[in-house]
Amino acid sequence: MSSKEVIIDTGELRFIEGHGRLTVKVSGKDIVAEFHNLEGPRFLTKYLRGKPAEMAPRVASRICGLCYTVHSISAAEAVERALGIKVSKEVRELRDVLYLANNLRSHMMHLLYLSIPPIEGLISVLRMRNKDVFRVGSRLLAKATELIEIWGGRSVHVPNVVVGGFGAPIRGKELLSSVKDLAGLLEDAQGFVRYAMDLELPELERYRVLAASKKAGTYPIYSEDATVALSDGSILNNQEYYEGLEEVTKDYSTSKHVYFKATEITVGALSRMMLNRRYLSFGARNLAEEVEWSINPFLVVKAQAIEVIHYMEELIRLGGELADVIMEPEKPVICNSIDLDAVECAYSGGKGKGIFVAEAPRGTLCHSCEVEDGLIKDYRVYTPTAVNSKSIEMDAVELVKRFRPIGMEKLRFILEDLVRSYDPCLSCAVSLDVYG
Amino acid sequence: MTTLITKLGPDLEGLFNIFDIDYFKLVREPVGGSRIPKADIAFVEGAVVTNLDRERLLEIRKNSSFVVALGTCASSGNIAYTASRGVDLKGKRLRDVEISEAEPISSVITVDYELSGCPVSGEEFTDALLRLVNGIEPVQPDFSVCYECKMKGNDCLLEKKKVCLGPLAMGGCGAACTSVGAACYSCRGPASEADLDAYLKTIEKKGIDKKRALMLLHMFMGKKAKEVLKNEQ
Repeated sequence: MSSKEVIIDTGELRFIEGHGRLTVKVSGKDIVAEFHNLEGPRFLTKYLRGKPAEMAPRVASRICGLCYTVHSISAAEAVERALGIKVSKEVRELRDVLYLANNLRSHMMHLLYLSIPPIEGLISVLRMRNKDVFRVGSRLLAKATELIEIWGGRSVHVPNVVVGGFGAPIRGKELLSSVKDLAGLLEDAQGFVRYAMDLELPELERYRVLAASKKAGTYPIYSEDATVALSDGSILNNQEYYEGLEEVTKDYSTSKHVYFKATEITVGALSRMMLNRRYLSFGARNLAEEVEWSINPFLVVKAQAIEVIHYMEELIRLGGELADVIMEPEKPVICNSIDLDAVECAYSGGKGKGIFVAEAPRGTLCHSCEVEDGLIKDYRVYTPTAVNSKSIEMDAVELVKRFRPIGMEKLRFILEDLVRSYDPCLSCAVSLDVYG
Repeated sequence: MTTLITKLGPDLEGLFNIFDIDYFKLVREPVGGSRIPKADIAFVEGAVVTNLDRERLLEIRKNSSFVVALGTCASSGNIAYTASRGVDLKGKRLRDVEISEAEPISSVITVDYELSGCPVSGEEFTDALLRLVNGIEPVQPDFSVCYECKMKGNDCLLEKKKVCLGPLAMGGCGAACTSVGAACYSCRGPASEADLDAYLKTIEKKGIDKKRALMLLHMFMGKKAKEVLKNEQ
């Protein structure tokens, strides 16, 4: 058996969150791709063991600097489920707003800074010829961050998400004006999205099973009772989905690959679009009809762009609903139906297991925790990037097989675009526990 | 860095017009590929966990006149510092990566300035940058979180018999956590005026669990917890 020859090594991947590289090797007729995560492990879930359950949202938030809100809300939900704490409808709606704002922010960050410039062959978003795209994009990004700041108590690592509900009341007036501004940005956003929709992308269709949250009649992102649907037709509840997940260690990557029942699945904006697009909000649905959808990972860019409109429309709708139903402007909302003391009781007792699954920007995210005597016994996080790692490798092989004739030098850049189209977050995916 | 990008927004262009920024991974393709460029000022994020981190860091030190540790992971090792202690990491070697206990960057190289915070404050960053380019040494906030919390008129969490590290924690965050009723975890490290003995006496008087306070103290302060806990076990 001859040793494997490396035909492509991307070196450090550019425009990606975290440090990683992708290599493609050939031995005989076999082509193998390896997606290396080179980040150092975070030890965060290891830290949580033996700590009071209510610390989980705080610690989980530190998993990532982009989708911290998603991680802290998921952690709060997992702990609440473990301890049987019920939160009010208002808290759910407020979390929904935060979740949507977070996904909007993450998508804008990815589209504007990371994925679109290299597709156009630019070394930076600042070199874009169409300056308006950059200006509109950064305004939207700033707006999404502002929403997180108003609702979450700070723009990064929001302290307002706590086990049992919300830390502090939110003022109706701030809420109304923040949503009103968002409506004003919708038209500009259409322009930005149009730009992304008009990008020319490579064709690379390859079949695999897709997975996304599913709830009748909605495009679920964060939802109390959503199930997980697979594109092969199966519908799973959170527990069943969690039980199917398995972590596999690789000796070339500090992140584990996550399989579902020993096979590859793909999660993310494209999977959501494939499974749920008919339930998008009105404006987004119209846009989605323009695209000929197929399981082509490069289409994630368009799926994310469409979701930007969906998130904005949903935020505007939800903001209006919240304003109508639970609050009079000017008056603070009593949304902390929890009082923190009740939650701190969890510290002295309470046990159980909790699993929470939701749609993070990059795909289906699963947090699970086990609590005993109010202390965390076991905590696990299955990030979308860890789930998608296998697909990234398989697609890289497929890409090299099909496009080999154009030469390795050109292929290298398309390969990088491919990895980026999955919007991988290596800082999220890196093992949170001791590796191995 | 994401904080910075969103805070600056469209003004990011201005930053690039004023400075030669060779390495800012999320915004531009690094000059010189994966090699570390020469720089007057280097802002370094993250704790040191792998051999690759170590090598890269030494290279950064060699190539930069002034190194700033940006964020709590870089300045104290953050949660990973405490969490990775006492873990058997022998044999945890991957093909290219060797994993060791997390360290703040000051354990490996000389650090010229620390800009702590989880997250870092955008204002503090731009302030430090402006001072540096004008040849003035940047200064860390010399007040505790309590100071800012009082300025905001919040109710004291210690008075409500809850664990809060405000009196020991370096301010500058605008008391973000305590303003929404959550305890301060001291994510920016110890305040210059931190007095552990007085703090412990106070919480004892209020009947707050000391063990819990000490546990929180280790969470974000990482290696710096040692400074505060000199006399305490």
